[in-house]
Amino acid sequence: MPDTARKNGHDGCALVTGGTRGIGAAIAERLEADGWQVARLSRTSGDVQADVGDAKQVKAAFEEVHERFGPVLVLVNNAGVRHDGLAIRMPEEEWQEVVDTNLTGAFNCTRSALNDMLGARWGRIVNVSSVVAERANAGQANYVAAKAGLLGFTRTVAREMAKRGVTCNAVTPGVIETDMTADLADGLVTAVPAGRVGRPDEVAAAVAFLVSEEAAYVNGATLAVDGALGA
Amino acid sequence: MANVPSDQEALDAIREELANIKVPGAEQATADQTWADLDVDSLDLVEVVKALEDRYDVQIADGRLKSIATVGDAAGLVQELTREKEGATA
Repeated sequence: MPDTARKNGHDGCALVTGGTRGIGAAIAERLEADGWQVARLSRTSGDVQADVGDAKQVKAAFEEVHERFGPVLVLVNNAGVRHDGLAIRMPEEEWQEVVDTNLTGAFNCTRSALNDMLGARWGRIVNVSSVVAERANAGQANYVAAKAGLLGFTRTVAREMAKRGVTCNAVTPGVIETDMTADLADGLVTAVPAGRVGRPDEVAAAVAFLVSEEAAYVNGATLAVDGALGA
Repeated sequence: MANVPSDQEALDAIREELANIKVPGAEQATADQTWADLDVDSLDLVEVVKALEDRYDVQIADGRLKSIATVGDAAGLVQELTREKEGATA
């Protein structure tokens, strides 16, 4: 266990949603390297299965995590899906699924984890948003709305929990090399001031900082990991 | 009805739970004090309610939270809920 959890006399774990692939897998790996016991939650694989957009499934998954890993002291809301298309022709279900997973999913998991963190008087929540949240991206109305909503959610939870040793921050990755972005990375690279796409472990490093004890006073912040794409 | 706390027991329980979350003056809290008097914010109240639910094995519905403005209101609600529970299992 990291010193932070041990000092508080609480054993606990880190839960990473969407933790089996891409950025989530890199975050899970990094937190493990930092000494956390990590539970990877995913819809179909991982240590615990749940569709984060389904409140009942999340509740059951947290019960399972409590039994197998203990209280959740670190939560990384990373699970995300994309269904791109212009708003004018976007089917309602594609809007809904993206908002359910990317935004409501973070709420469902956060609500469950906050009980553990409140009890421990220590907690770290990191929401994986996106560079598009603070700008716009034609063809991603659902995704941008959900990721922007996540930033407002982040700041609000930070304020609500600030007195309890719980922080809630967001990272906004730019173009990161993963399965999810494989179809769009090439065209976007030219727009990235850094001249390259990012790696999942670079996002994981930012998350690891926000989870660390040193980041105790960083709360409600948005940390861009985007090679200056959003600057 | 042995499990229904007396006025004093309910008050003591709330004082204890307030002390657990480090509310200044928790031990001397009186029934007529409001949460604002005690500097108890909405999140503190959520914690106290959760602790009281665990202690008495009752559920305090969100709707009823709004009706408890003072320490005495909370004590009364705890008594009412434990009485209901006793009645249901009697």
